[in-house]
Amino acid sequence: MKQLLSGNEAIFQGAIRAGATYFAGYPITPSSEILQQAAALAEENPGFRFLQAEDEIAAAIGIISASLAGAKSFTATSGPGFSLMQEALGWGHAVEAPCVFVNSMRVGPSTGMPTQPAQSDLLQIKGGSAGDYYPIAFYPNSVEESFRLTVTAFNAAEESLSPVILLVDSLLSHLYEMADLDAIEVAVVPRTKDPLGRSQRLFTGTAHDRMGNVKTNDPEAYRDWLNDLKERHLQAADKYPLYEYIPRKDSETLLIAFGITSRIISSLKERFSIFRPIRIFPVLEKELQEITRPYRHIIVVEGNDGQYASWTECAIHRKVMRVPCLGGGFKFQWIQSQIEERLKEGK
Amino acid sequence: MIDRSYKELLKLGRFPHTWCPGCGIGAVLKNVAMAMKELGWNNQNTSVVSGIGCSGRMAGYMNLDAVHTPHGRALTAAEAIKTVRPDLNVVVLSGDGDLGAIGGNHLLHTSRRNPDITVFCNDNEIYGLTGGQAGPTTPKGTKTVTSPRGEHYQPLRLNRILTTQAPYFYARTTVYHLNHFKTCIREALLWKGFSFVDIISDCIELNGRRLGFKTAHQMFKWFEERFHIAEGVRDHLKDDELGIAKKEVEAEVKVEVEVEQIPEVQIEGLKLFALEELKQFDGTEGRPIYIGYKGKVYDISASPLFQGEKRMRCHIAGKDLTRDIEIAPHGEELLFKFPVVGRLKE
Repeated sequence: MKQLLSGNEAIFQGAIRAGATYFAGYPITPSSEILQQAAALAEENPGFRFLQAEDEIAAAIGIISASLAGAKSFTATSGPGFSLMQEALGWGHAVEAPCVFVNSMRVGPSTGMPTQPAQSDLLQIKGGSAGDYYPIAFYPNSVEESFRLTVTAFNAAEESLSPVILLVDSLLSHLYEMADLDAIEVAVVPRTKDPLGRSQRLFTGTAHDRMGNVKTNDPEAYRDWLNDLKERHLQAADKYPLYEYIPRKDSETLLIAFGITSRIISSLKERFSIFRPIRIFPVLEKELQEITRPYRHIIVVEGNDGQYASWTECAIHRKVMRVPCLGGGFKFQWIQSQIEERLKEGK
Repeated sequence: MIDRSYKELLKLGRFPHTWCPGCGIGAVLKNVAMAMKELGWNNQNTSVVSGIGCSGRMAGYMNLDAVHTPHGRALTAAEAIKTVRPDLNVVVLSGDGDLGAIGGNHLLHTSRRNPDITVFCNDNEIYGLTGGQAGPTTPKGTKTVTSPRGEHYQPLRLNRILTTQAPYFYARTTVYHLNHFKTCIREALLWKGFSFVDIISDCIELNGRRLGFKTAHQMFKWFEERFHIAEGVRDHLKDDELGIAKKEVEAEVKVEVEVEQIPEVQIEGLKLFALEELKQFDGTEGRPIYIGYKGKVYDISASPLFQGEKRMRCHIAGKDLTRDIEIAPHGEELLFKFPVVGRLKE
C-alpha cells in the first residue's frame, strides 16, 4: 500500500526490516522523530529495546554494547550529537561491532543552524575519531531510497563488522513522499558474530591481536590487525559501489551532487551530465576516474565548503570547480547562476 | 585446604599481570572471582565490563566474554548488555576516576534507571595509570602531581550521591577488612538491581609513597585508622563507616487529584449571539472581549492574557473557541472563572 512517509519514518521502517532490535538515542533536531518512533515501538513490542540515554556518548556506547550482546542496533542524531559519538565510533571499529549510525545533518559548526539543512558532516564520518579506521557511509536522496539504504547500511555493517553511517539531509528527514515500503524487496544479511556469554573473548579498544589479547607494544600485531580490518571493510564496501550517472552526450560539463542537492539540480540534466555518488565513503575512486575523464569541466555542488570536492580532486588528480551552498541556502536559481559563473571563469 | 577453583575464572596464561607489587586491584580481582565461582557464575552466564585505568585492565584477566570500554563508559555498556541479554549476569570492574569523573554522568543516570548490574569500584583515590594525578575522590589536602600544594577541593562522596533515591545498594569496604570485603561482594552480586561496591584500595607506588608510606601494609593500617565497620542494616553510611547501605523501592504515594466541578450556570433568558455578532466583541474600541465555548458566551475582558492584539497565542477574541480549547494544553477550567453573558446561536 502506498503511504505518505517522511524520510525519518522510512529510515526507521528500514531498520526494522533489517532486523534491528535495539535503539539508543538522545533528542536532537532533526532526527528526534526516529527516537520517538523507537520509543513507541518499544512500548508495544517487548522484543524491541529502547534507551533514551543521558547524552549521545551513552547512546553510541549503548548501541555498540548491545551489538556485542547480540542485537542489531542503531542510533540517530545530528551533527553536534555525532561529534559526541566520535569516541564510540572509534571504539566500534576497534571492537568490530556491527551497528548503524544515522546522521541527519544540519548547519554547523557547533549548534549552528538547528533547523537548516547542510551536507557538512562528510569529514566527520572519516576523521572524527582518533587513529585510522575505514568507515562505510551511504547517502540517499529520496524517502524510498532512505528505506533501501538503511537496510543496505545494516547489511554492510554485518559484512564489515563495523559501524556503518547513513548520512541524510535534514530536508530529507522531514520530506514527505509517497512510497510503498511493503512492496520493496530487500535482502537482509543475518547476524553471524557470536554474542557475549559464549566464550572467553575480550572486546577492547586497546590495541590487540586477533584473539583479543592486549598488545600495546607490538607494531607487527597491530599492523596485522589493522590490515585485516581494512581489507574486510574495503571488501564489504566493494559490494555496494552505488552511484547514479545521467550522461548528456553534448555536454562538456559534469555536475557532481548528492543527497538533496542532486534533487534540486536534477532539472539541469537537460544541459549537463550529472553524477550522484550514493556510497559516499569510501570514495568511489575507480568510478569517479572513469566517469569524469571525458569532461572538460567538473563542478561539485554540495551543502558545505568543498568537502566532497577535495575528495574528488584526490581521487581523480584534477582540479574541480566548487559551488558551496552554505548556511542552508539551497535555492535552485542561486545554484544555477553560480554554475554559470564558474563556467565563465573556466573558459 | 583452600579452594582454588576460582582460578578457572582467571586467564592465568596472561599472568604476570600489569599491576605494581602491593596494589589492591589484585585482591579485588581475586575476591570477585571467588564470589562468582561460589555462585556458579561462568563464561556461559556472565559478562564483565571495564572502563579505562589500572582497574580497567581487570576485565582482560577474567576468563569470560569481557568488554573493555572507552574511558568512563563501562556503566552504559553494562546497562545495554543487560537490556539486550537479561539472562546474563553483568559485572562492572572499574575505578573511581573512571566511574566518578569521566563517567560521572553515566553513574547518575544508570543508577537512576536501576538495571540489574553489579559495580565494583576500585577506589584508590588517585589516577594511577597516568602517573598519580588527583582524582575525584582524592581527599582535600592530599599532595599529588596535579595538586603539588595539596588538593583544593572536597572529594566526591559517592555514598551520598548513590543513596538518595530508593532503591539503592551501596557498600563501602576496603581491601584490608577481608571478611567484610567478601560479604559486601557477595551481597552486591545477589542484589536485584543496581548495586555499587566502593572498595577503598591502595596505590602504593603512585600515591602512597608520596604520602610517606613505605609499604602497602602501612597503607592498610591507615585504612584501619580512617574507617570502622558499621554494624547492622543501614539506610546511609557516614563518611568514615564501612558497611552496606541499602533500601528497597519505596511504595509509591498516590496523589489524589481533586476534580473541579463544572459550575452550573443558567443560560436561559440570556442574550442570544450569532457568530457574526460575536465578532464585534474583540476588545477593540473599548468593547468587551467575548468568546464562545460550548454554546455559552463568556466575557473574558478581565483576563490579563487577552491584551494587545486581542489574541492570546492561538486563541482569538470574538470567536467560538470550542475546538481550540479541546486541543489546547490546558483544560476548560480556566474559563469558568469568567462571567457568562449569553448564549451562542447554533
